[in-house]
Amino acid sequence: MSVVYVALPVALLLGAAGMYACIRCIWDGQYEDLETPAVRILIDDQKSATQSNEWPSK
Amino acid sequence: MTLFEQSVAPETPAGDGMAAVASCAVKRAAVIARPCVHCGQSTDCLASDDAQQVFCCSGCRSAYELIHGWGLDEFYALREQLRPASASAVVSGPDRYSQFDEPEFLGKSAPRVLADGTCSVELAVQGLHCAACAWLIENVSSSIPGWLSVRVRMSDHTVRLVFDPERTKLSAIAELMGRMGYQLAPFDRSPDEHIAQESKRLLAQIAIAGFLAANSMWIAVALYAGEFSGVVFEYRYFLGLMGTALGTVAVVGPGRTFFVGALASMKTRTPHMDLPIAVGLLVGTVVGIINAIRGSGHIFFDSLAALVFLLLIGRWIQFRQQQRAARAVDLMLRITPRHATRIADDGRTELVLAENLQLGQRIRIAPGECVAADGIILNGETTIDRSLLTGESVPVQSHRGDCVAAGMINVSAPIDVEVRAVGRESRIGRVMQSVESATMDKTPIVQLADRIGGVFVVVVMSLAAVTFAMWLPTGIGEATTHATSLLIVACPCALALATPLAIAVGLGRAAKCQVLIRDGQSLQKLAKGGRIWLDKTGTLTEGRQRVSSLEGTTYGLELAAAIENKCVHPVASAIVREAELQKLPISKTATLDKALPGGVLGTVDGEGVAVGNLELMRSQSIDVATIWWERIDACVRRGEAPLLIAVDGVVCTLLGLSDPLRKNASETISKLSGEGWSVGVLSGDHPAIVARVCEQLGIRKEDCHGGLTPEEKLTIVQRSRRGGLTVVMVGDGANDAAALAAADVGIAVRGGAEVSLQAAPVFVSSGRLTTIHNLMVGARRTNRVIYAMFAVSLSYNLLAVVLAMAGWISPLAAALLMPISSVSVLAIVLGARTFEEAS
Repeated sequence: MSVVYVALPVALLLGAAGMYACIRCIWDGQYEDLETPAVRILIDDQKSATQSNEWPSK
Repeated sequence: MTLFEQSVAPETPAGDGMAAVASCAVKRAAVIARPCVHCGQSTDCLASDDAQQVFCCSGCRSAYELIHGWGLDEFYALREQLRPASASAVVSGPDRYSQFDEPEFLGKSAPRVLADGTCSVELAVQGLHCAACAWLIENVSSSIPGWLSVRVRMSDHTVRLVFDPERTKLSAIAELMGRMGYQLAPFDRSPDEHIAQESKRLLAQIAIAGFLAANSMWIAVALYAGEFSGVVFEYRYFLGLMGTALGTVAVVGPGRTFFVGALASMKTRTPHMDLPIAVGLLVGTVVGIINAIRGSGHIFFDSLAALVFLLLIGRWIQFRQQQRAARAVDLMLRITPRHATRIADDGRTELVLAENLQLGQRIRIAPGECVAADGIILNGETTIDRSLLTGESVPVQSHRGDCVAAGMINVSAPIDVEVRAVGRESRIGRVMQSVESATMDKTPIVQLADRIGGVFVVVVMSLAAVTFAMWLPTGIGEATTHATSLLIVACPCALALATPLAIAVGLGRAAKCQVLIRDGQSLQKLAKGGRIWLDKTGTLTEGRQRVSSLEGTTYGLELAAAIENKCVHPVASAIVREAELQKLPISKTATLDKALPGGVLGTVDGEGVAVGNLELMRSQSIDVATIWWERIDACVRRGEAPLLIAVDGVVCTLLGLSDPLRKNASETISKLSGEGWSVGVLSGDHPAIVARVCEQLGIRKEDCHGGLTPEEKLTIVQRSRRGGLTVVMVGDGANDAAALAAADVGIAVRGGAEVSLQAAPVFVSSGRLTTIHNLMVGARRTNRVIYAMFAVSLSYNLLAVVLAMAGWISPLAAALLMPISSVSVLAIVLGARTFEEAS
């Protein structure tokens, strides 16, 4: 049972890593526009070599 | 009456379109209505025509050819798949885009140069309807070399462009977008960074609180399991400490906002939901920490973390709604043009910002352009579309000395105007000011949850005190524990979640039925009956003139159509359409001699033809026989506008023009009356026509008002609000803006969504009147769901309070009751049928 002294903090650390990733996404603005990405997935990719989907960050 | 004034149009795209339609009508071919391939508007054409080649106007044809030429036909498939959309026609000259290259024009949204030499710019875009628009814009970027990328944001109607200034100019991009029907515009204010930051901060707090709540739950589960299986003290102590640490972080971190709210409520001495929450959190944390360190007694950490998490979610939903409501964009700027063509003293013209115009300066307005300022016509003779201000469905003949107002559209010929009023001083500006003050006037609706919350606060706090006093004889430790349990368990978590959640779900479902609702309060107000005012033109009727009766010979109609074919005018198109539907041959050799107020004169194959109203016939000294007088009277009694056709000075045909009622209009009216609404009509149209329409719909005569200006509509709406009834106004988003804003709930049924939602909290985009009835039913159901949830969450709280006061509440019971009440609230909201899905 003494493994709990190690397992619990490790579990919390893993969870905290997930939380950190989530907060990064929020500050990146991923949750600001919930409409367009939902329909964008319906659109097939085509020839889009000329178009980058990346946006330069501020 | 100005119903029959007509004009000769220069070669405009719309004129071409009419010729294209007319060319479809060949003798004895079956004429049917098909949707335009591009915009879907019903268009008359031959049955033998290819359904893929039907266009309502040349604008749609060229848009289709552009899209087709780039191989982007999938746009249409995608549009069908996602939502029926309508394309807006845009009239524009090519040179108006050159200003996109000037930083002064762009102002706050001037392009930023990135590290690699490319430019990035963020612009507002108008005309976005659905996902297919976003797709089209994002895929078109490859057609201009140097236009590197574009990203559309549907939620706030903006685009971000990246382009290479060496290879292309912003004006080229703006022009291309304009040709597709999407107008780019610089932001008129700096984008609201503050609100975006606040939204992100709240979301981040929810993420933190969620993490802490989930993990403390696991630890709590371990502890409860330990209670039953007899855990060693050492581990229980460790788990308790860890859980308490998580709970404390949740309270001190994301939970801080409740303490801030509680302090504010204490300062202003108003009981607020934050107060019992803050006290509960504070006492729970302190007692929990002491008990955790002592290693005995109740520790509340899991309840505390879950409490913070759930309450924050409620907060966030509320914040999103307020933010939507607060997005007050200047309506005036969207309606009137931002730029004007000023005529300098030496006769040259220059483009200036409309707000920089001075009184007494002269501006030139090209045909198809919107007037930028109030003024008086100095030169030129034209027809003016005044529908924005007056709601008149027919453009009005105007000449030297006549007044024009900002927001009106110059239809046929260029005019020079001397500026008399600009911006907020202009007529439309004053209407908008009254819109603003009408919005401010509204008494803020106290949310039901807040009202109950106020009582709740006092009750829970005093119950906690009573519990403490009751248990004091058995020891101070016991008393503190029970009082704290009560504070935590009685926390109005479900209650705080209920209203915002039910409203958010209601708004989402309404949007699926093509009803856009700006704020949730409208839903609550629509749930009860009251007084509902409807606009006539375009709301109850289709807003399109149609020939509804014909007396005399069809030969007259045939000749009239031949002449009217040369005109751009709603009456002209009604006549041509009727001739096509009657399969009459329309001569191509007709000449249009003169367009006068009240009608037109022309020649067809050597015969002089006059088409117009009585005054026109009189002015041309055409004798109208008595038999026609009776027929004209009958026409007016039917609610139709009479139009005479005379061939070689002899009247031979009488046409009755009317604007037909929309489908389901009378059905909707009777359903609304059945729901407890008293229905009335407010219209700018002629009182006789309005009375006739009301008679058809079964609306009482004293509730029908015709011939009203927008200002008078506003007065009537304000007056009816004084009675304390809920007043709903249904109308056009643009010219009824003031009345829509003054009503308790304004429902816009026409006009662009962006503009309409400024003035009216509700926008119906389905174009069906029955949707309004569905909206009322949905609102009532949503309200019922809210009350049901109050009942459920309050009974949970009541049960919990009773258990806590009796001292029976164990940590296990507390941990179970809290989430169960939240989950049942969620289930009620999501399971309830509120809005009927659009069929």
